[in-house]
Amino acid sequence: MNRRHAILSLSLACLALVVLAAGAWMAAPAGAQALKGPIKIGVLYDLTGPFAAAGAYPGSIGTRIAIDMVNEKGGVLGKYNLQAIAGDSQSKADVAINEAERLLNVEKVDILLGIYSSAIAVPLAEKVDKQNRVLWITIAISDAVFKGRDLKYTFRAQVPGSQFGQISTRFIADYAGERFKMKPQDVRGAIIYEDGPYGTGVAASGEAEMKKIGMRLVLKEGYSAAAPDLASLVTKLKAARPDVLFHTGYNPDITLFLRQAKELGLRMKAIVGHGAGYGQYDKLREAFREDVDHIFNVDPVASQLLDPKKYTNAELGRIRDEFLARYKKETGVAEIPPHASMGFNNTWILLTDVLPRAIQKYGGWSADAIQKAALETDIPEGGTIQGYGVKFAGPGHEVRGQNLRASLVVMQYIGGKTHVVYPKAIATASPVLPLPPTSPYAAR
Amino acid sequence: MDAVLIAEAAVNGILLGGVLALLALGLNLIFGVVDIVWIAYVDLVMVGMYAVYWLVTAYGWPLPLAAVAAVALVAVLGLLVHLLIISPILASPPVNQLLATGGLLFFLQAFATFLWTTDHRSLRLALPVVEVFGMYLSFARLLAFTFAILGMLGLYFFLTRTYIGTAIRAVSQDREAIALMGADMRRVYLVTSAIGGGMAGLAGVLLIIQYSVHPHFGATFGPITFIIVVMGGLGNMFGAVVASLVMSEVISIGGILASTEMAYVVAFVIFIVSIFVRPEGILGRRE
Repeated sequence: MNRRHAILSLSLACLALVVLAAGAWMAAPAGAQALKGPIKIGVLYDLTGPFAAAGAYPGSIGTRIAIDMVNEKGGVLGKYNLQAIAGDSQSKADVAINEAERLLNVEKVDILLGIYSSAIAVPLAEKVDKQNRVLWITIAISDAVFKGRDLKYTFRAQVPGSQFGQISTRFIADYAGERFKMKPQDVRGAIIYEDGPYGTGVAASGEAEMKKIGMRLVLKEGYSAAAPDLASLVTKLKAARPDVLFHTGYNPDITLFLRQAKELGLRMKAIVGHGAGYGQYDKLREAFREDVDHIFNVDPVASQLLDPKKYTNAELGRIRDEFLARYKKETGVAEIPPHASMGFNNTWILLTDVLPRAIQKYGGWSADAIQKAALETDIPEGGTIQGYGVKFAGPGHEVRGQNLRASLVVMQYIGGKTHVVYPKAIATASPVLPLPPTSPYAAR
Repeated sequence: MDAVLIAEAAVNGILLGGVLALLALGLNLIFGVVDIVWIAYVDLVMVGMYAVYWLVTAYGWPLPLAAVAAVALVAVLGLLVHLLIISPILASPPVNQLLATGGLLFFLQAFATFLWTTDHRSLRLALPVVEVFGMYLSFARLLAFTFAILGMLGLYFFLTRTYIGTAIRAVSQDREAIALMGADMRRVYLVTSAIGGGMAGLAGVLLIIQYSVHPHFGATFGPITFIIVVMGGLGNMFGAVVASLVMSEVISIGGILASTEMAYVVAFVIFIVSIFVRPEGILGRRE
């Protein structure tokens, strides 16, 4: 009896141990389990159509270089390889949604990454989030992607559109007295924009900032980026006589506008563009030669313009240089557009900050693990190759998923080179303001 | 609004109308004679634009010579389109014909992307700024308008003063009757397709001096060209010219009196109303 009792006790103890061990195994981070790679990333950009040359294609190259550089070191944490599966949204929202469906549900990617156009990001974000899948936006800026939507699995390290209009208006206001000999309240500003979510959002933030400063808004008008003619808009601007033109557009609408503005004699003190087509300096110069000099462009900084000493660690400088060298080798361009840095940087943040934490702390790269890890991202200013820090807005925030530390600069094309001219603290050159008489757009 | 600026918008509208008319004429000619809508017509224009761009920038050809070569190239393309795509489906249902020329559209876009990437390419022309009575006019548009008018006159004289031109007009009026009278329909179709292609080439030449070219250029001018052709009456060339001028003036004057977006809304409303009121086109013949 004693022996039977002992056997029974021993069996119960063994069972308890097995249960405990199983419990401990189940409770342990899945990182301790045998995770099976590769991590599949659906990379969705506009590789064809008008958005491709307006920044989407350079962005896709930046993303690819980031993935290659991580894979060459063995993958995430040196052991989980990345498998990129490309999609082409063809500059069309409906195609983007179909491609996203294919990548998520046929290719079964773990993360959907990329997106250049806000017109695509706005409808896509909600659709992807409803499937409880991760959407990691690298370039699209519209505030409407996040505002009031409480998206759980959508993240964006990129700067939101509302900041574009703010910084361009503040820049002009800050220099109005010194360069225009005018009070900011006397400056006549005009806002023109492509009428999708990207242009509309930037224009609204610019208008709000102008109101705050008291700057005079003499014309605000949207247009279709596919419009075959913008001559009437130019004529209208001539009637409004703005000192400064704030323009948000893609390409080829920007090229068409600048060409018709020159032909029809539109004259101003400054032209401030907000990214997209204005960020493609090589293309603008090909079309306009030196006429494009002294135009301003607001964007997250092209990383080659930053002083690597301002990074939080020297390794970032080396990573930046490696990325730039690879980009130049592949494309042969003289001036690397900001979109290339956006594609690289915002992918790099996912691959080297969020994914390692998701695997180590939350057991893998499931949507829940990634969103938990992303919400813990805490990169200080100077901690990314574009200089800004990263802290994503969490649950309850109006723009949940948006990086709250992203920042912009104002750049100017001077003598064939791009210079940072604002904020003053990080400027690499003093802005040429107002437009010099050599510019065909200069007020006479 | 200053009267000079309104006049400037009106004149710029007329200049835009000239280019739109040229685009519409080639398409109209082909539809009127061959009875098939070339959905890919504006993409042939794109090929013409690329031809001029590359001949000038990569091979250093003078612009006039490159222009002649581009017109000839697209005329040959027009011929090939008829021989390879249209001719085998002449007797097919209209939907099949639309699908075939639609397929050509996607082919041309994809092929241009493959060959020349998605980059936007512009000719670097230093054209002067023209100022007349305080109005600024686009020199490129003036040039384009002039050549568009010359092109239209050339087409008019060809159709009215030559034997083959008369045959083409006869086919457009009564295809069955002219066939019964022993006309060489195949020859008429080939000549028409080559002329239509040549018109597309000329439009390409006139557009590359004003616009950047890229593989999806057709999306910018395609819809408005088809609207003009339908509004003017399919196959009715004079109707297409009138429709071009109406649309371009609405876009131009409407743009400064209301807004650019509203001008397009009004233009499309006019189109819809005109289709309800005169489905045969504003100058089309009622059957």
